[in-house]
Amino acid sequence: MHSLMQSSQHYPRPQSNEVIRTVALMGTFVTVHVVGRVAGHKGETDRTERERAVDRALDWFYKIEECCTRFEVGSEVMRLATQVGVPVPVSTILFEAVQFALAVAEESEGAFDPTVGYAMESLGFNREYRTGQTIRTHLDSNFPVSYRDVRLDAERQTITLLRPLILDLGAVAKGLAVDLAARELQSFKSFAINAGGDLYLGGCNPTGEPWSIGIRHPRNDGELIDSIRVSNRAVCTSGDYEKRAAANEQGHHILDPRTGSSANAVASVTVIASTAMLADALATAAFVLGPSEGIQLFQRLGVDGLIISPTLELYATRGFREYH
Amino acid sequence: MDKSTLLLAAIILAVFGASVAAGHPHWGTFTGIAIILLAAGLATGTLPLHSQDFVEERTSPTQRISNGLITLSSAAIVAIYAAGYHRTSPAAHRFDSQIPQQRTSATIAIATPPPAANPGSSAAPPVSSSAAPAIKKNTKRPSTPSRKAAPSSASDSAGSSASSTSTPSPASSTNPPIEAAAPPAGAAKSAYKDGVYLGWGSCRHGDIEASVTIQDGKIALVAISQCLTRYSCGWIAPKIPGAGLPDLPSQVVERQGPKVDYISGATESSYAFADAVVAALSKATE
Repeated sequence: MHSLMQSSQHYPRPQSNEVIRTVALMGTFVTVHVVGRVAGHKGETDRTERERAVDRALDWFYKIEECCTRFEVGSEVMRLATQVGVPVPVSTILFEAVQFALAVAEESEGAFDPTVGYAMESLGFNREYRTGQTIRTHLDSNFPVSYRDVRLDAERQTITLLRPLILDLGAVAKGLAVDLAARELQSFKSFAINAGGDLYLGGCNPTGEPWSIGIRHPRNDGELIDSIRVSNRAVCTSGDYEKRAAANEQGHHILDPRTGSSANAVASVTVIASTAMLADALATAAFVLGPSEGIQLFQRLGVDGLIISPTLELYATRGFREYH
Repeated sequence: MDKSTLLLAAIILAVFGASVAAGHPHWGTFTGIAIILLAAGLATGTLPLHSQDFVEERTSPTQRISNGLITLSSAAIVAIYAAGYHRTSPAAHRFDSQIPQQRTSATIAIATPPPAANPGSSAAPPVSSSAAPAIKKNTKRPSTPSRKAAPSSASDSAGSSASSTSTPSPASSTNPPIEAAAPPAGAAKSAYKDGVYLGWGSCRHGDIEASVTIQDGKIALVAISQCLTRYSCGWIAPKIPGAGLPDLPSQVVERQGPKVDYISGATESSYAFADAVVAALSKATE
């Protein structure tokens, strides 16, 4: 079974009316924090009720990881990669995740592209974080692939790969898990979910104010460059300081799908949106697009964000300041 | 133009304006002040942007705003949550079934046996008895088999059978819920001040405001004054009363208190309504 890891380094010791749990999942640490009672109920909420709600919230992470990880040969997305040219019936989770990823690809004109899986693997992003085992897939062809090589049939819930390719749903799947966990905790007045930079903040913090989120300085470790206050919003921060490539010291974990190498126009991106799935996907797209085009994409899609260039210039959407 | 250049220009203008104002008292005062104001405008116009260090992007107004992705992402979550619900529902049920039991002691619905059937029963004050009424309520809802089947309630009812025996009520278990309404026992303690009081209650589906009218120290009229829930409040307060549908506002009048039945399919809204009544009544006792 999955090992539970308790961590208290980011949070103060939990009070009697809150549950904080941290688990290693999806290649990162997932922390779920539930405070207080169920909304609308005057009676005291049982501690075990909160514990069970946290269990159910974390269940979504296991469930989605099972479908969407490309680090396990047996996962649904990797089994899909072995079938080219035929419609493959898939689970609702995989279908919705891929459908959303393709929509973002379309909207960002390929700056975000879920078909970079094979390229990511080739660059050395192929290590399963729990077991440490690496995966190496042999694909029949080395044709360049794009999101246009994936076809969906919503009615039959099938996915067809037109060419041999591996879908990388990292950006979408983690956000999706956060959103489903948030959905599961909706009945609580106050909760926070943090999955390695993908956050959802429900209600207010234990002191009754909107949750305060610090944005890490992309160059000075342990320093914040900005902080925002949010309530009932997802926040995703992605930086070039995370996850260096194994094969290439300069590379990091976000590829420019159009060139096949790491995107270097941006040091860090923060997106505030209604769902973590959207926030994470758009943060990834902005990484590739660069500051100016990234901000334009945010404005056009109605989300707010802050982009920091490698020279530490700050670019923000018009609405971003309202979160201060 | 560069922001620092603007700021510099503003300072020069301000100094110049001040000197003009000082040197030419008869005409220069106005000109000087005008120049100072211009300088101030320039300075304040540039300073906030400068201090925040933001480079703000201007998008042309003709660019389309697309909310398609926002909608799509929400729809995906709904679809998956709905598809996966069978997996989480057993746990969710256990979770939900706990709430009525806890709440019963506080505000909700205790269908105590009619006083005629149990005249000598002094053990039926609805608020003080905690566990027993909760179980009675569960066993009395054959229309909600899922809750009845919840293992926790089964084990609880076994545990609390001892306390139930003090109020043997075979009649109540056969009574339909509404007819098994509480006796006017609560009326004895009512010491409300006359007036109309409002109170809010909330649940995950939204908020409900109840208005409670007190006349001669008694609850004379109860209504839902605002229904901000996702579902119609018709589930708990039908537009046409007396059609056999659950009517929580009438129950409050009948029972002279916030102890209403909870309604299968509108459980959360029932709680919210009860909370709203409690909030309103608390104002009436102040």
